[in-house]
Amino acid sequence: MSKLFVDLTIAFRNLVQHRRRSLFLGAAIAAVTALLVLLNGLSTGVRETMIDTATTLSTGHVNVGGFYKVTAGQAAPVVTDYKKVLAVVQKTVPEMAFAVHRGRGWAKLVSDTGSMQAGITGIDIRSEPKFSSVLQLESGKLDDLAQPGTILLFDNQAEKLGVKVGDALTVSAPTTRGTNNTIDVRIVAIAHSLGLLSTWNCFIPIESLRALYQINQESTGVIQIMLDRKDFDHIPAIAARLRQALDQAGYRIMEPDPRAFWMKFQSVSREDWTGQKLDITNWEDEISFMTWTLKALEGMSVVLIVILVAIIIIGIMNTMWIAIRERTREIGTLRAIGMHRREVLWMFLLESLMLGLLATIVGVLAGAAIAAGLNAAHVPVPTGLQFFLMSPHLHMSVHGSLMVRSVVFITVITGLAAFYPSLKAARLRPVVAMSHFG
Amino acid sequence: MKAIVSVREAVKNYTLGNVVVPALRGVTLDVVEGDFLAIAGPSGSGKTTLLNLIGCVDTPTSGSVEVAGKDTRRLSERELTDLRLHTIGFIFQSFNLVSVLTVSQNIELPLLLQRKLTGPERAQRVSALLERVGLREYGTHRPSELSGGQRQRVAIARALVTRPQLVLADEPTANLDSVTGAHILDLMRELNRTEKTTFIFSTHDQSVMAHANAVVRLADGKLVDRVTPAQAAAENGLPA
Repeated sequence: MSKLFVDLTIAFRNLVQHRRRSLFLGAAIAAVTALLVLLNGLSTGVRETMIDTATTLSTGHVNVGGFYKVTAGQAAPVVTDYKKVLAVVQKTVPEMAFAVHRGRGWAKLVSDTGSMQAGITGIDIRSEPKFSSVLQLESGKLDDLAQPGTILLFDNQAEKLGVKVGDALTVSAPTTRGTNNTIDVRIVAIAHSLGLLSTWNCFIPIESLRALYQINQESTGVIQIMLDRKDFDHIPAIAARLRQALDQAGYRIMEPDPRAFWMKFQSVSREDWTGQKLDITNWEDEISFMTWTLKALEGMSVVLIVILVAIIIIGIMNTMWIAIRERTREIGTLRAIGMHRREVLWMFLLESLMLGLLATIVGVLAGAAIAAGLNAAHVPVPTGLQFFLMSPHLHMSVHGSLMVRSVVFITVITGLAAFYPSLKAARLRPVVAMSHFG
Repeated sequence: MKAIVSVREAVKNYTLGNVVVPALRGVTLDVVEGDFLAIAGPSGSGKTTLLNLIGCVDTPTSGSVEVAGKDTRRLSERELTDLRLHTIGFIFQSFNLVSVLTVSQNIELPLLLQRKLTGPERAQRVSALLERVGLREYGTHRPSELSGGQRQRVAIARALVTRPQLVLADEPTANLDSVTGAHILDLMRELNRTEKTTFIFSTHDQSVMAHANAVVRLADGKLVDRVTPAQAAAENGLPA
């Protein structure tokens, strides 16, 4: 029988001996842990939904976009001779899952009964593998978007314009040379709204976008680089690598600016240069105007977690003071028979850590089970919240790493809360502790 | 014979607010190896304070206490703990066993703190002591399942398991009936004879003093005299 085994035995049996107190405190720790898991699961779920939606509708994980300026005062979101840029990208980012190129623009949509301004994205639907998995069609067929002169709208846009699948629209926009141009398109699909990103964005074939802006086949709006989830943490490094490689390949690169491309029009137009400049951004830059929702959610979670952790700390410390008071004579006896201070400290810390560990494991499992239940129940989100959450249903994402982090975090907090009372117990003079009554 | 305990002009004062309460007033005492000494005196005479000083759980206000040749005033907290762990065994009036451990685990605990012996060696020593104190079949019991006499036997086994040079017992029979108390003292005496362990125990019970080699009498924090048990009994008008 080792010393550790005896320490564990003492800790476990003391917890069992005071089972009502242990259960009460353990339940509180488990509840806080479950809440921590649920809050983190919610913000992770929103973040993942946001990434999935954003990286399908408007951005890659890393983007090589840029502006082409015919004159100093005009800027178009165009990458010329994009195949050469793509070749550099493919060579520089071997971890890339796939890449797509898209046209970018801002145009007026005109129907028989209404009109609206909207961002238009030119895509080649045949090279967009994730598109169909994110969009939920209300009517029409996605494959028809491969035909020139077609358009995909979202339901809120279709409602505003008073159109349905099969109707015609006129799209009007200024070309790169400053003159206005129009094209006629047929609505081939209407998709369910995906929140903020789908309120101002629609999709047409890239050939149609080129025709609208009168740009050549070798030009596109942006090269969007898609990564596997395991590489998400490397996005800043990949962006830096690309910046360096494109610079060495002779391209002019814009200074890093964490904003969406359309927010840069004014500042780029004011700059005194002409020709092509490339802009390397990541997904967070391109949807920076809406990540505040995520930050707000994370901020609220942090405030809640701080309050809950404070409650746990007070609970643990209170319980430890009671336990130490009850066991003061035992401490005195153990010190008298030769137990060192550090061993008394360890004995009480171990008891708290054991309670913390057991309770957090229960809490994490409960939190994960509740999250799985909520996901399975497809709990509907109010329309106002859908706008920000980008999903019609509540989605929680509880990963193994989150569960492990939660267990470690709360257990460490438990240990820290128990440290001061344990230290006081360890510093009791044996003669004082032995003569304690109460 | 060599002194294992040497107390010189030991004074111990306790402070209660602004009031200084003297517990020992200059006690001088030598205890030789293998002794079986009783410290006697009425309540408040300083018996427990003297045992605490000898047991290194407290230090004198002035004077000196040497245990196994070490001056306790010169030792750090850690060194005092080591001295208690390796040299001294304790038997308490209220047994003071760890309630959540079994009898065997309670006895083994000081050995685990020492970290000297292997698992089988510890098991063997615990087993031998259980046999010696007559609790061979109670190893897996918890203290709450034992009688007072049995608990004190466990406490004796725990005190002896490290084979200390000195065992201190603070009124070891105070919470036991007279028959059980006599058995406990017989056991201590036997271990004193066979293991050559020095025992110092406090008592104010004349029948307990009768088991000792000598009786040191305290009154009001002062050592009055050192007498034989027969003399102590005669002065109290009792048969020796």
